[in-house]
Amino acid sequence: MPYYQTWEEFARAAEKLYLTDPMKVRVVLKYRHCDGNICMKVTDDAVCLQYKTDQAQDVKKIEKLHGKLMRLMVSKESHSGAMETD
Amino acid sequence: MVLLENDAFLTELTRLFQKCRTIGSVVITLKKYDGRTKPVPRKGHPETYEPADNKCLVRASDGKTRISTVVSSKEVIKFQMAYSNLLRAHMDGLKKKDKKSKSKKTKAT
Repeated sequence: MPYYQTWEEFARAAEKLYLTDPMKVRVVLKYRHCDGNICMKVTDDAVCLQYKTDQAQDVKKIEKLHGKLMRLMVSKESHSGAMETD
Repeated sequence: MVLLENDAFLTELTRLFQKCRTIGSVVITLKKYDGRTKPVPRKGHPETYEPADNKCLVRASDGKTRISTVVSSKEVIKFQMAYSNLLRAHMDGLKKKDKKSKSKKTKAT
């Protein structure tokens, strides 16, 4: 269960994993205020991708990825590769 | 597991974050949901359920209290905006990057 070192790699791998099987993948976000860190995990119960951070600048990135995956989940059969233009 | 409406879920999530400021963690889970309310039938039994494609399940917990909500495509925009604001507002206990910033503002010591 590797912890990714860079956010870009984690985000790319997470989206790719989700698109291979949307119904199996779940996204878990654990926030500890007392320790001051966030851990994000994306898994389909076979592959597990994790990213841990204690940097405030990553909160925005995490929250954006969360939103993106949420929108993918509620969209009907939209194709991967459709990049956001706005 | 308490299933709430989107707004009630966001209110409870705020409360969870506030409760866990001194100790503990808040765990949020996000998963695609096809709307089924009955368990998956055994092999050989017909699947009588028509899966819906436009919903997702959001769960939150502080270890003791567990709450959840279902977001569908109609509500996702509103929910996602409120949800992002909530996350950004509460996940503020992290280290700020303190290297030489490019801005001309000087930090008051």
